[in-house]
Amino acid sequence: MTRKRRRLWILLLCALGLGSATALVLTALDDHLVFFFSPSDLAERPPPPERLFRVGGLVETGSVERAEGSTVRFRVTDGAKTLPVTFQGLLPDLFREGQGVVAQGRLGPDGVFRATEVLARHDETYMPPEVADALRRAGHWKPGDPLPGGAPSGTPAGAPRPASGS
Amino acid sequence: MDRPATPPAALASGQAAPAHAAPEGARATAGRVNLHRFANPGRFLRLSGQLLPWIAAAAALLLGLGLAWGLAFSPADYQQGETVRIMYIHVPSAWVAMACYSTMAIASASALVWRHPLADLVAIECAPIGACFTAVCLVTGSLWGRPMWGTYWVWDARLTSVLLLFFLYLGHIALVNAFDDPARGRRAGAILALVGAVNLPIIKFSVDWWSTLHQPASVSRLAAPAIHPDILWPLLVMALAFTLLFAALLLLRVRAAIYAQRARALMAARAAVRA
Amino acid sequence: MSAALRACRALIARDVRLALRHGAETLAALLFFILVATLFAFGVGPGPETLARIAAGVVFVTALLSAMLSLDRLFAADFEDGTLEQLLLSGLAAELLALAKIAAHWLIAGLPVVLVAPLMAVMLQLPGPAYPAMIAALLLATPLLSLLGGVGAALTLGARRGGILVPLLVLPLAVPVLIFAVGATEAAAMGLSPRPHLLFLAAMLVAALPLAPVAIAASLRAAAE
Repeated sequence: MTRKRRRLWILLLCALGLGSATALVLTALDDHLVFFFSPSDLAERPPPPERLFRVGGLVETGSVERAEGSTVRFRVTDGAKTLPVTFQGLLPDLFREGQGVVAQGRLGPDGVFRATEVLARHDETYMPPEVADALRRAGHWKPGDPLPGGAPSGTPAGAPRPASGS
Repeated sequence: MDRPATPPAALASGQAAPAHAAPEGARATAGRVNLHRFANPGRFLRLSGQLLPWIAAAAALLLGLGLAWGLAFSPADYQQGETVRIMYIHVPSAWVAMACYSTMAIASASALVWRHPLADLVAIECAPIGACFTAVCLVTGSLWGRPMWGTYWVWDARLTSVLLLFFLYLGHIALVNAFDDPARGRRAGAILALVGAVNLPIIKFSVDWWSTLHQPASVSRLAAPAIHPDILWPLLVMALAFTLLFAALLLLRVRAAIYAQRARALMAARAAVRA
Repeated sequence: MSAALRACRALIARDVRLALRHGAETLAALLFFILVATLFAFGVGPGPETLARIAAGVVFVTALLSAMLSLDRLFAADFEDGTLEQLLLSGLAAELLALAKIAAHWLIAGLPVVLVAPLMAVMLQLPGPAYPAMIAALLLATPLLSLLGGVGAALTLGARRGGILVPLLVLPLAVPVLIFAVGATEAAAMGLSPRPHLLFLAAMLVAALPLAPVAIAASLRAAAE
């Protein structure tokens, strides 16, 4: 076999490998699967007891109560279902009502999730506090919502306009 | 960066090259493709010597401007407060860390295909710069994570893939320097950079997937990220400053590497004459 | 063509025979796998719940490490005594030569791990429904590790401290293999379908099967120059 033909064969095989890899990846992506648990998932199919897992969603507004010591009780919601959570320890700065949260722990027999770790997630919105205030006053936006695209009518004159898009 | 005296200039003109790696490949193709004119080390030295002061000055200027703007004069974030300022260092260094790997991969590919010494040098000098920017990105990211996420380190998809990028850079540096014959180290480094370039998207993708096993998609919203112009502009200035800084460092390192090669060649020639 | 195939078969048979003659070394890699897995039990304590939680991860991490162990000799012995140069000059495509060496490495180092892993999983209290997924994942992951490891071994040929370098180069590249292999096993353990994880592993395998030998061949040629 000449050098040229050998190269051709190798190129052909590489293309074949990459092609079938793409096909397999596309098939795999077709299998839509749930890999994390939202409160709705847990209501539908409760995980085995004493299994460590993570639950995520938004901290329900008005649900946070601080009990004696450093114990905190709150509810995690995904809009449809909620899950009561207790946690003992220091909460991160960004832990707020209406914000995203991920808690790791176990589901107790009473249906209360005992978190051993709470992580807050910040959204991808950055803006100065005055703008956020202005938006909130105008009723166009509340923390936890994505930033609206255009400038809201209630923004005070001279205030910076929110960025549209990235 | 003062210009060297006569001997390197004589080398640059292409004649009388004592045991130097530069010319063959470049000379063979010099006339044919315009691009190769810049690949001649001598011409590269001259051109980069003229460009470097400007790029370095622009980088310093923009860095000063961006830092002052970002750290002192830009507004604090509505939620994260003053800590958001870490972003002005963190995000540009992440961008440059990735851009640096692409530069390294492209340079490695052209080094393997055209066997050009300058492409080899660019690829190799990229790695330490990229490793530094990646380290800056990791450290600032972890400092940012402490007040924001409540922990210095989370096994978040982005953090983890940057960490793996850091290991790839370190592996590349270690491999290039592990051979007694520098040419062999350069070849191995180029192959590794390309293997890494193929694998990097897979690593990124799999780490994303691995991380979503634990973190609900409902939290990371699908809406496009929105950044207010008062925060976006200093960020863009910093990104440009970091890119220029990367360019200046790369030029500086490649120039130094060429001089080092020449010095070695001259010393070898002198030793041969004495012997 | 058939001559090339015969040459490949002869190469594989030679490597396997060599490994069998040096049985102690081959067994050492396997023993390492078992020992490290046992160490985890000592490290985290014998609680069955804790062990079950980490079982899948431990099996695949130790499989990865034991694959690394045998890699630095993959091409080095042939390189040192000049066999590699002869093989490269023999007219056999370097890519096929690389593939044959990888196949031999999998037979020597990968297959025994696949066979012993269920035993380790039993000792680590892996939940029952996870076994078929784990074995399928092992069958896909171990050849992938051999292919990736082969690239590392070929790149470091003739390097100082080559043995330490190989894991440094290969382990970051092997992260996706680990993620999907453990993902398949854990999904099955939780009663979810391991299919997408296994499909991703298969995709990586079919892509690496032609690509890795090309990279290995390039490195071998560079080393023999």
